[in-house]
Amino acid sequence: MGLLVAADQVDKVFSLADGGEYIALKGIDLTIKQGEFISFIGHSGCGKSTLLNMIAGLSLPSSGVITLEGKEIKEPGPDRMVVFQNYSLLPWRSVRDNIGLAVNTVYGDLPKGERRSIVEEHINLVGLQAAADKMPDQLSGGMKQRVAIARALAIRPKLLLLDEPFGALDALTRGNLQTQLMRICDENNVTAVMVTHDVDEAVLLSDRIVMMTNGPGAEIGAILDVDIPRPRQRMEVVEHPSYYSLRSEIIYFLNQQKRIKKLRARKTTAIARHGLEKVNLDLGFVPLTACAPVAVAKEKGFFTKHGLDEVNLVRETSWRGVVDGIAGGYLDAAQMPSGMPLWFSLGGHQDRPLPVVTSLTMTRNGNAITLARRFYDQGIHSLADFKAMLQQTPDRQHRMAMVHPSSMHNLLLRYWLAAGGIDPDLDLTLQTIPPAQMVVDLRAGSIDGFCVGEPWNQRAAMDGVGFTIATDREIYDGHPGKVLGVREDWANAYPNTHIALTKALLEACRFCSEPENEPEIREILSRRTYLATPMEYIQLGNPQATVCERNPALREYAHHLFFGDGANRPSRTEHLWHMTQMARWGDVPFARNWLEILERIVRVSVYSTAARELGLLDEKFTRGTIQLFDGTRFDAEDPMGYLNSLAIKRDITIAEVILDQPQAIAA
Amino acid sequence: MVTSTRTRLQSRPKSVVSSIQEFWQKQGAGLLPPILGIAAFLIVWQVFSWSGLTRLPGPLSLWTEQRTRELLLYPFYDRGGLDKGLFWQTLASLGRVAKGYTAAAVVGISVGVLVGTNDWLNKATYPVFQFLRMVAPLAWVPIALVALQQNQPAAIFVIFITSVWPILINTTEGVRQIPEDYNNVAKVLKLSRKDYYLNVLFPSALPYIFTGLRIAIGLAWLAIIAAEIVMSGIVGIGFFIWDAYQQNYISEIILAVIYIGGVGLLLDRLIAFLQSKIAPARK
Repeated sequence: MGLLVAADQVDKVFSLADGGEYIALKGIDLTIKQGEFISFIGHSGCGKSTLLNMIAGLSLPSSGVITLEGKEIKEPGPDRMVVFQNYSLLPWRSVRDNIGLAVNTVYGDLPKGERRSIVEEHINLVGLQAAADKMPDQLSGGMKQRVAIARALAIRPKLLLLDEPFGALDALTRGNLQTQLMRICDENNVTAVMVTHDVDEAVLLSDRIVMMTNGPGAEIGAILDVDIPRPRQRMEVVEHPSYYSLRSEIIYFLNQQKRIKKLRARKTTAIARHGLEKVNLDLGFVPLTACAPVAVAKEKGFFTKHGLDEVNLVRETSWRGVVDGIAGGYLDAAQMPSGMPLWFSLGGHQDRPLPVVTSLTMTRNGNAITLARRFYDQGIHSLADFKAMLQQTPDRQHRMAMVHPSSMHNLLLRYWLAAGGIDPDLDLTLQTIPPAQMVVDLRAGSIDGFCVGEPWNQRAAMDGVGFTIATDREIYDGHPGKVLGVREDWANAYPNTHIALTKALLEACRFCSEPENEPEIREILSRRTYLATPMEYIQLGNPQATVCERNPALREYAHHLFFGDGANRPSRTEHLWHMTQMARWGDVPFARNWLEILERIVRVSVYSTAARELGLLDEKFTRGTIQLFDGTRFDAEDPMGYLNSLAIKRDITIAEVILDQPQAIAA
Repeated sequence: MVTSTRTRLQSRPKSVVSSIQEFWQKQGAGLLPPILGIAAFLIVWQVFSWSGLTRLPGPLSLWTEQRTRELLLYPFYDRGGLDKGLFWQTLASLGRVAKGYTAAAVVGISVGVLVGTNDWLNKATYPVFQFLRMVAPLAWVPIALVALQQNQPAAIFVIFITSVWPILINTTEGVRQIPEDYNNVAKVLKLSRKDYYLNVLFPSALPYIFTGLRIAIGLAWLAIIAAEIVMSGIVGIGFFIWDAYQQNYISEIILAVIYIGGVGLLLDRLIAFLQSKIAPARK
């Protein structure tokens, strides 16, 4: 497949009536291969039609070039025929004459009979024989659009451009036309670009989906490859494993764009008060039992107590939302998985190192590995059983899920599997899905198990969908779970706010650790604004301590550790362990300058100040060495040696990670 | 075929009276109000003139006045010179209108297309056109007479200058209102200039052009009367009125006015008929 269209650094600026400028598109880079079907999707006004018009040549880029087969596009032409949104049939010409006008214009040098047969052929192609002599106003919307498509295809364009072709049609007609268009494109190897609002339409028809961010200055946010094989059938496409992940990817993207727009529209200037640089904070969290300190700090007034009058909790359904919020700068802070500050700082997000610091470990434990109930019924009660099962069924694709590459769940699950001699990437497929979706997917059978925070393990067990095969207490007791993370530039711009935030959350952690508060916390967490889950699934602690057993009973565990015994002090050793694990699985490079990175990322001083001001001076300095259930000790003095000693690992990259000079965002 | 034969067979035994009765049953409800309205108007007018409140003769004078009755009964007489029946008078006026109006249509449409397709030109000519448009037909008469010296061309010029503006302005607007989509189709297909004019521009602007033509025919007919009234010594319905007034044949004026109104109505219907044939209304 050769390259057909290339857009290189294309900008489009419109001048406004008041003399100003509107930057519609910025820095668009796109290539379209011969025979590809590309969709542009995005919210209204994101410039997708503008981009289409520039490819058509109906408007020209303000800077940058768009080429067709290497030649710059400077004017419209029949080699890039457009199917317009409102059909654009000439109402004074019949169906046949509308198509005929295009054919006669483009194929003027062909004999008349040949031209006529091209027209008839394309009327037949879209099944409009009976309406060939009708005028456009005698046709329904769907028929008009078929005429427009026939007109476009009749002149054999190199590129077919469709501007929301089915937007104005009813669902049934739309479905039929999509099927027809797909068939025609497949049979004639048409290269097409379509602008659409419709997520399902994009997935059904496209080879690649270009998702555009909101204007002004709209860009290509991401490009999705649709790996569903052709020819596609509407009913089969929805069964394809990729369908829902693609669909949810697009919907996530679009929702994210909507939120960014809303956040942009809101006043976001820092409000300084009580000697703090900023008291209006957007704090991201994902609804899990582990978000208790965040919820408590808000509901019990710890934020207000420490001067943070206007803390707005932003409930994200997935960690990805937190990642985008922190990277995009529209979240001030977030409760994040313990590996995420390092993951950001080492370039885990889009390969761009973004220093994110942590000053507080909010929770420990509270995670478990759950397998589908059917495995329990098959007698699989331990890691060894699980491995044996995997070896016996090599032809079956087993899927397990975790929530984010940087989360402890991923690291624990992989560690646990690897310790049992299972390669988490070769013997299994691991996929990332949002916590709240785990039980649903397990029930649907699309995954075989997962590692996630509570309440989802409990829920799976109590609903009889799955069972807890291992808890984190067995694998790595007292491991860090969720930490407070903020961008380094934010921390430098608002140092006192950072300390106040740490204090408020630390106090909330202490509140959570007191047994008499448990009913109240469970009630708070069950509310709609947090977990929106019945209280019986939400457990903070578990009275029974436990160890790995040969043949355990079906178990439900909750064993959150919020406070005490040095639990909250951010530990460089622990973060170093995270770095080794994330490097082990190839998510980030192992930083040769790890000492420097840890110094910058782990803000013990902020924690110490906060703790001292709260009068919590009985903290221990270290939590001792890290030793997991397989007996391997983690030597913080020699992380490379530790990495090299691991049997199952990916290719490890060791690199100097250069962080930008610390700087404060303009406050 | 079968059905048409049957209707013919059925309709044959009907008498004229019964078919009128049938017509009246169908259309009577719609026709009655205007007939009554016209009758009432004529009666009130007649009563007024009998009462002596005005010297304007009543409608009956069309018949009672002998000169007027002759004019009414013999529209085609021609005694040479200016002494011609009303048909010939009207025809002479119509001839002038036809010349002036045709010129106005040709100039109005072509200049309108030019101005409509060129934004710069549109801006440049807008104030001039709007200014000239507001000048009343009568005001053009002396200018035309001074400029052209002779009655006949001056009258045609007045028709032209009065009726050209609505055609021109509507054509301009019609061209400017061509939906962007049609223009885009033309651009993408790279239609030649000729094809663009024939297949996109004219069909799309035609409803506007016809609106202009209809307004213009009314104005042209108004203008001819005005122009002829002041241009003495020519055959034409306008001068006929003026002449009758000078000689105090008031009922002749009334008769001429009826002719003028009737012809104006016919002209308007004619253009409307052409429009329905050439550019039928679309949804």
